[in-house]
Amino acid sequence: MKPAYRSVFRELLRRELGERYRGSLLGVLWHLLLPLSQLLVLSWVFSHLLQARTQFENLSYAAFLALGLWPWNLFSNAVSNSVAALTGNAALIGKIALPHHLLVDAKVSASILLDLAGFAVVLLALVVFGTHLHFSGLPVVLLSLIILYIFAVGFANIVAVLNVFLRDVGAAISQIMSLLFFLTPVIYDMAQLPKAMQQFLLLNPFAAPIISIRQAFLGLPIDWRHLGISALLAIVIAYLGYALLRRARPHLEDYL
Amino acid sequence: MSDASLPLVEVNHISKRYPVLANSADRLSALWDMLRGRTPTRHTTVLSDINFKVMPGCSIGIIGENGAGKSTLLKLITRVLTPSDGDVVTRGSIGALLELGAGFHPEYSGRENVRLSAALYGISDAELKTKMAEIEDFADIGHYIDEPTKHYSSGMIVRLGFAIIAAVRPPLLITDEVLGVGDESFQKKCSRWIDEYVNSGGTLLLVSHSMYHVQKLCREAIWLHQGRIEMQGDVFSVTQHYLAWHESKRTGEDIVPDQSNAIFDYGIEKVTYNNSLHGAALEAESGADYRIEVVLTSLDDAPPVLLVGWVREDGTPVYGISSEMDSIAPTKLAIGKYRYCLCFTKIGLLPGRYKLRVHSLDSQGLRLFQTIDRHVTITGQSRAYGLMHMPHHWE
Repeated sequence: MKPAYRSVFRELLRRELGERYRGSLLGVLWHLLLPLSQLLVLSWVFSHLLQARTQFENLSYAAFLALGLWPWNLFSNAVSNSVAALTGNAALIGKIALPHHLLVDAKVSASILLDLAGFAVVLLALVVFGTHLHFSGLPVVLLSLIILYIFAVGFANIVAVLNVFLRDVGAAISQIMSLLFFLTPVIYDMAQLPKAMQQFLLLNPFAAPIISIRQAFLGLPIDWRHLGISALLAIVIAYLGYALLRRARPHLEDYL
Repeated sequence: MSDASLPLVEVNHISKRYPVLANSADRLSALWDMLRGRTPTRHTTVLSDINFKVMPGCSIGIIGENGAGKSTLLKLITRVLTPSDGDVVTRGSIGALLELGAGFHPEYSGRENVRLSAALYGISDAELKTKMAEIEDFADIGHYIDEPTKHYSSGMIVRLGFAIIAAVRPPLLITDEVLGVGDESFQKKCSRWIDEYVNSGGTLLLVSHSMYHVQKLCREAIWLHQGRIEMQGDVFSVTQHYLAWHESKRTGEDIVPDQSNAIFDYGIEKVTYNNSLHGAALEAESGADYRIEVVLTSLDDAPPVLLVGWVREDGTPVYGISSEMDSIAPTKLAIGKYRYCLCFTKIGLLPGRYKLRVHSLDSQGLRLFQTIDRHVTITGQSRAYGLMHMPHHWE
């Protein structure tokens, strides 16, 4: 009798998803209301207060921002949430033999599933309010999301393991994520920057998939070269993450 | 489901070292050691060179004082921990109740925790549907099954943990000091279940401080002492040695001053225990006769008095008798040399370690001169409590 891995994963995932609604009145409704209110505030602040404009005639800045912000959040939330995947389950790890990577996988998957739902709601709202989105770009969007997911899993494993040894990682990760946020073309349009600056920003491996999602929705050309490099890097990071977890596995319980 | 001739668990020379984490620099260096695949430089050894096998159908009790490494050993067998050296080979799944909590997450309800545990035991969802009722029934905690386990009493946690084990019926069951937690009726239910489980071919590894439970449920025992196996074998013999060791530890050995070269007015020349001279380790079976022969010396040729006493390892006197009390005169062997023969018939001492104390006294039985202590191990299979067997019958 081996552990039924799929059942274990499903049960852990169910826990992670359930945790968000534990003790809440509105439950799943939060995931409808929250992104919508965020979008509303963003559009009011940027389009009306700051009068931010995009280079495109028929694209509001709020819509431009939303198309980058949700993919970024998807990645950044997944990594931040996973920091505690091992430390937060110390009670479990110390008592029962459990495949450790399932704990991280469940955290990442839950986080990404919830943010994907939010993204879907936002896209729907954008369409309803008259933004013209090119849904023919969906395959590229999907590919980019998969790249972000692989990145997230890799980094999640790394930070979760490091956090077991050094709890500073947990505190540092949200700071690092917000710094990375500004180095990723989410709030600004990279096309409007000088060429040299663009090259510099593209060194950030998360830039390509996030730009590609926006480009695809707006029906603009995709930078396949950088997207490809990003994909390769994601696979390397994911491999490193699993390798680290495998190496640390015999020691984790000693440090929890 | 598994070959009966192959051990369920093979523990091959395992050791476990825990890293010493006094400050954050230790954590950093531990991380660095881990990345390079080395063992941490600063560590404490919890278990060293443990080696044994668990055959199907065995029931083994693991005993030892706090900190002896019992729980660590169980965690190594269940693979919660990874040994620093050696390896553990297991065949078939292991049901484990390690300490309190049984791996329950405090924030989740009993039912949710059962679902995860069941999945970890490899129980499919369809199977669980039929077993859930069984588990609820065995645990018998009513509506608490849907409450977060943080609101459970320790007894309820054990009930639920045990209920899962009872439903899964793993080929090997490992429990760590859980029987003592539930209330009387649940303890009985668990004991009955384990009894039936062991009798029907289940294999059990039990950690307990209750020698009663260990003797009742196990046929073999392993005594862990400071991370090593001190003794291993038949449950009665191991538990008796363990208890005797505890008793001697409580008081420390009585140090009898070296009297071998002193000259006493009334001295002890020779003691023969059950026909063997002192020097060899002494053993006697509970319920058998025990005979000692003592040769005493007397400088003024007045017949000395002999006092013989049984003392428990910790110094508690059990029984003492003198030749003067029984008005017995010694046999004169030569001038200033007297012999006593004393036979304790059917010694009623319960198994354990005792001291047989022989004193020489003056002829009035007033002043005590020489003392000789010998350890005597009383063997036997009694599970009764206390020191003595008291003759009794049931009506």
